[in-house]
Amino acid sequence: MTFLNKLLLMFRRNRFDSELEEEMTFHRVQAEKEFVSAGMDCEEARYAAMRQFGNGVRVKEQSREVIGFRAETVLHDLRYAIRQLLASPGFTVVILLTLALAIGANTAIFSVINGVLLKRLPYEQPDRLMRIFLSSADYPKFELNPFDFLDFRARNHSFESMAAFTRGDVQLSGDGEPERLYGLGITSGYFRVLGLHPQQGREFDFAAEIPGNGLQAIISDRLWRTRFGADPGIIGRKITLNTQPFTVIGVMPAGTVHPGNVYHSLPYGEDVDIWWPFSFAGDPNRRGSHFIEGIARLKNNVTEAQAQGEMNAIMTQLGREHPNNDTGWNVLVIPLYSEVVGPTRPLLLMLLGAVIIVLLIACANAANLLLARASSRQREIAVRLAMGAPRSRVIRQLLTESLLISFLGGALGLATAFSGVKALVALLPSDFPRAQDIHVSAPVLAFTILVTLATGILFGLAPAFQAAGADPKDGLQKGGRTTTGTGRQRRLRDALVVAEVGLACVLLIGAGLMLRSLLNQLRLDPGFQRVHVLTANLSLPHAVYKGDEQVGRFADQLAANLNMLPGVVSAGVGTDLPWTGYDENAGGFTIEGKKPPAGGEDFHARYHMATPDYFTALGIPLIAGRFFTEADKRDAPQTVIINRTMAAKYWPGEDALGKRMTFEDHPKSDKDWITIVGVVGDVKDQPNSPAAKTAFWLPMLQTVWSSDVSVVIRAQSDPRLLIDALRNQVHRLDPTLAVADVQLMDQIVDSSVSTPRFAFALVGLFAGLAIVLAGVGTYGVISYSVSQRTPELGIRMALGALRSDVMRLVLSHAAKLAGLGTALGVIAAFFLARLLKSLVFEVSTYDPATFASVAGMVVLVALLAGYIPALRATATDPVNALRSE
Amino acid sequence: MKKPELLPGTLDMLILKTLTRAPLHGYGIAQSIKRLSDDVLTVEEGSLYPALQRLLLQGWVKAEWKMTDTNRRARFYTLTAAGRKQLGLEVSQFEEMITAIGRVLSDAQEA
Repeated sequence: MTFLNKLLLMFRRNRFDSELEEEMTFHRVQAEKEFVSAGMDCEEARYAAMRQFGNGVRVKEQSREVIGFRAETVLHDLRYAIRQLLASPGFTVVILLTLALAIGANTAIFSVINGVLLKRLPYEQPDRLMRIFLSSADYPKFELNPFDFLDFRARNHSFESMAAFTRGDVQLSGDGEPERLYGLGITSGYFRVLGLHPQQGREFDFAAEIPGNGLQAIISDRLWRTRFGADPGIIGRKITLNTQPFTVIGVMPAGTVHPGNVYHSLPYGEDVDIWWPFSFAGDPNRRGSHFIEGIARLKNNVTEAQAQGEMNAIMTQLGREHPNNDTGWNVLVIPLYSEVVGPTRPLLLMLLGAVIIVLLIACANAANLLLARASSRQREIAVRLAMGAPRSRVIRQLLTESLLISFLGGALGLATAFSGVKALVALLPSDFPRAQDIHVSAPVLAFTILVTLATGILFGLAPAFQAAGADPKDGLQKGGRTTTGTGRQRRLRDALVVAEVGLACVLLIGAGLMLRSLLNQLRLDPGFQRVHVLTANLSLPHAVYKGDEQVGRFADQLAANLNMLPGVVSAGVGTDLPWTGYDENAGGFTIEGKKPPAGGEDFHARYHMATPDYFTALGIPLIAGRFFTEADKRDAPQTVIINRTMAAKYWPGEDALGKRMTFEDHPKSDKDWITIVGVVGDVKDQPNSPAAKTAFWLPMLQTVWSSDVSVVIRAQSDPRLLIDALRNQVHRLDPTLAVADVQLMDQIVDSSVSTPRFAFALVGLFAGLAIVLAGVGTYGVISYSVSQRTPELGIRMALGALRSDVMRLVLSHAAKLAGLGTALGVIAAFFLARLLKSLVFEVSTYDPATFASVAGMVVLVALLAGYIPALRATATDPVNALRSE
Repeated sequence: MKKPELLPGTLDMLILKTLTRAPLHGYGIAQSIKRLSDDVLTVEEGSLYPALQRLLLQGWVKAEWKMTDTNRRARFYTLTAAGRKQLGLEVSQFEEMITAIGRVLSDAQEA
């Protein structure tokens, strides 16, 4: 009923107003008559009636509110707000741009956080998935031994299911060019643990784990479509992998995401195209080698800690059963989620902190602009209040305005974010997990709306209350003259600028630390020479290259052929390349005449194999002795080259050359001993590893231990010119081999600093934005205060103050704000910087140089921002200034 | 001396009550309340007109433009059936409350 009546009245609004007007006039006239008949003269009676009736405008306003919809007043406010914005385009553009940038940056970063940290991993109940590793005093996180894994799987009661996997790329040949595919060897139940199911066929059963049953494969949806034309009869079809016939027994659906692994690591999400059954070959009592990784699904009523406890108990049992291999280990149970995104969390949280700071600065800026405008609108508001507008109504009006501004800014920010997110994803380090999950999605939109709302209220509140709290008398009495603003208002504006400067200071210090650690990493001596070096990987199928001898001969021949190519300075083959996800291998050995170091540790080092020219091709310097030669072949005495760290650690103060080591537990003759013939420079595992590990190289003609080899070619000029020649040479030796991962050493080095570069680029960008905003804010406040003080400055100058005095007066205001802001910023940064500890490299988070230069820069920018209005102040003509009063 | 203010929530009831005798215009309603209460209650115009709009919306009164005795055009308000029912409801609620308050007050005096 009421609603319907209101609706009807909506179309007769004019009639309603005129009728009300007439009714009220009638009322006043009647009252007037009454007064006249009581003996007042006409004039007196009219005034008395008007007084008695009170504020007519208010009566009308209230009556209208009774019949109006609430939305109508909002609409009215909105219309008014739009008019206000259009009336001052300069103000509108500055404030919208500021907010768009800040909200856009927040949206973009939140898209990353949502995609990487918040979105569920694409497995069933992903929070129940755990990775299982071993840990000891020497190796904080180590792979499992296959037979240990079998015992874990059989004995545990904590997990619903448990599986193991290991990286093992395969070469697919047959129709067309041979292709090397990312592959995993998996135990039965691997997909069941993840909660994934083949779209066709089935997964491996336990029988497939038995040696000899392994010629089966599960392929990816991508491979099925691209390589096999989505053949509906793919199940049961034979395909050639590593030159052997494998039967396809399953096809996984699209979106089967690799959970990431450590051993020969493939990052999370990388496309694995083929899964083959891991088989448990060998002697179950020899458990020294570790190369498979565990993954398991926790039972619903078991906690991570309980599982950890049970696994450790099992490990202790195994230690008693196999004292040679299984003592000294603990089991590590790590949630898959932390394993995948854990390392990125500090970086992302830092970026979130940075954009929140930018947003706060933008809010302070917007609040300041609104405050400045509110004081020039004081008269307007005073009139409204005097005419009887309730304060709540004025506050609502002003908040409507600030919300309109923030939502316009938010919409622009969202538009910015769409392109920003694309740029951000392109900029992400190559090994960043879940990059493909980063989009401006529904939760991101919700976040943006929330942030926009909060922003509007945050920066609108202060000006709204300030304005509504004004005494209408003040506003009216001052007439058309601008008011200087109360002391409280000036203090609020100054405080906002101090906060802005302080926050910008914090961000700049963060950016400075990021820059320094990036520079430190760029300046690092890698231990090899990166320019003009081409690299590639080959995997030699076991079926053809049955043992060390075949692999060694192939490598030697390839290196020799490559060395004869024109344009090649030096070419070598090794078992790996520096900085390419090197696994934590560690060969244990015995040194002639030395007891193993105390504390259960044995002599151990990273092991590699290389052909003679591998070192010169990579530019790894020789420190003592010699490189390998063609003479270091199969039946010659065994030789080894060690790195500087190994020489220093195991032969301190001695000459390591000529000393002997062995891998035999009980060396019998000289044949079992390996002689150190050279010492080469150190190469760290990763550019930011704290120090190089001990390492040695064996000549490839004598030992290989691997079927995956890497080719290194140092060229005279652009090494890319040699890519075709490399392919030809490989195929001349073996046309079935795929030449994979062709890249320049330059690219490898560049991608190794991609994370610090990303961190610096973004924090730097946000810090730049912050200091510009803070500069604009300072400029705004100083120039406002100059314009307010024009009469005062005019009087000072009329009384003989010099221009330089005026300049000093204005600049000292700016300096005071900047100084206080910087001081507070430096103190805040001092406390916040420790959060960056895991993100910086070889620079203290309290780096005095960074703190000092940022502080200097911030003060300089603020003074510069104050200088322009100061200049304007000195140009004031005292006569005009006084006349303007 | 300051006049006692109208009890909150009673204005609607008073307006409805004055309209039970005859249709009245806004000024008439105000005068009527003033007179009947021996000048104790005055109705502020600022509350009277918004209240009348509210009653109109609820459908408790009707309004029509008529000529007064002095031949002026004025809007006269008439009580509707729904308004009469509403008045009964409000009066009984009000009396209930007055009785309750009275009981509390007399108890306080005896003690």
